[in-house]
Amino acid sequence: MGRESSPRPNYEILAFITTDKEKVLGGNALSLWAKDEKTAEALTVDVAKALKADVVQMRSGDYLILRV
Amino acid sequence: MNDTLISSEHIVLILTAIIVGTTARILNLKEDYRQYPSYPNGYLIHLITGFIAAALGAVAIPALMTKNFVAVTFLTIAIQQFRDVRKTERDSLKDLENTEYAFRGDAYIDGIAKTFEARNYSTLIVSFITALTIQIVNSKLIWINILCGVITGFIVFFILKRFSKGKTIGDIADVKEGKIEVKGSELFVDGIYVSNQLGTENSRKLFEEGGLAVVIIPREEHFRITLDNFGQRQAALFEATRSIGVKRYHFTRKDFENGRIVISLVPIIKDVNKLIETVKTTPLLESTKKSQSVMQTNLTGRE
Repeated sequence: MGRESSPRPNYEILAFITTDKEKVLGGNALSLWAKDEKTAEALTVDVAKALKADVVQMRSGDYLILRV
Repeated sequence: MNDTLISSEHIVLILTAIIVGTTARILNLKEDYRQYPSYPNGYLIHLITGFIAAALGAVAIPALMTKNFVAVTFLTIAIQQFRDVRKTERDSLKDLENTEYAFRGDAYIDGIAKTFEARNYSTLIVSFITALTIQIVNSKLIWINILCGVITGFIVFFILKRFSKGKTIGDIADVKEGKIEVKGSELFVDGIYVSNQLGTENSRKLFEEGGLAVVIIPREEHFRITLDNFGQRQAALFEATRSIGVKRYHFTRKDFENGRIVISLVPIIKDVNKLIETVKTTPLLESTKKSQSVMQTNLTGRE
């Protein structure tokens, strides 16, 4: 718990960055494909900085950019 | 002409009661590490409302003495005014929510606003009791009247202060420094999982180099009910971020197994002792407090 104002926080997924083309699906959040790990990381940092959002790196290596 | 003017005994009575009442409010308006209300405007507002509360308490006795029973109804106006004090305090704190480092939280705001209301009541009671004492003593020597009034007023003030004094987290729990570990995207403090929002290299470095964490360990099993409360944790987190600042990231997490609470952040001033002290002195919120002894006592009598 950090910036939540209630016990039921309203998380919003802003972007999903992956190196696996098959995981790029439609939906509300922006899904981006990066050709390798390094590009994915750079892309994540850039998008997260621009949106002032938090980043979660998943076990699969994909990145999730989200905000409360 | 003199009939319409107030007698000198009454002037002494009213003035003494107002002064004692206002002094009680000043003594209750303490500046500590929380620095709330703020100086100078916050102080002025509460001193003036305290003065008015004292004045209302002071004139009640002379009003009754002059058989002006209807005048006592203005005490209802006093109650209305104090409720407004609570309301304005709550509104202004809620307005500030989005500009603070962390949220104070509704529970904490409610507690602060209630305290301000209660302190006005205690001012009113102190000045009322002072006036009552002067009236009852009714000595020919004015100084004896005043002295008795002042002494009784302050005794009542200290009793009320004692009665309304709240407890702090340090009274029911131990607070100690926690060891920060970053494993991949995840943050652990003393082995307790806290967050997985450290997805970038920057954030991991930031936390490893500048992060601070404390663990709150409840002394008794039943204190967990109070400490686990969302509002209570939010209050502790707020006080922590307010006293040492926050560069980025602040988390709290509870551990289900042992009831430990983690508070962790990347502060501006990296001083763990300050953090521990602040968390220890965070007040226990009235709305979250549970009295174990009352829960066990048979108060109403069972068949």
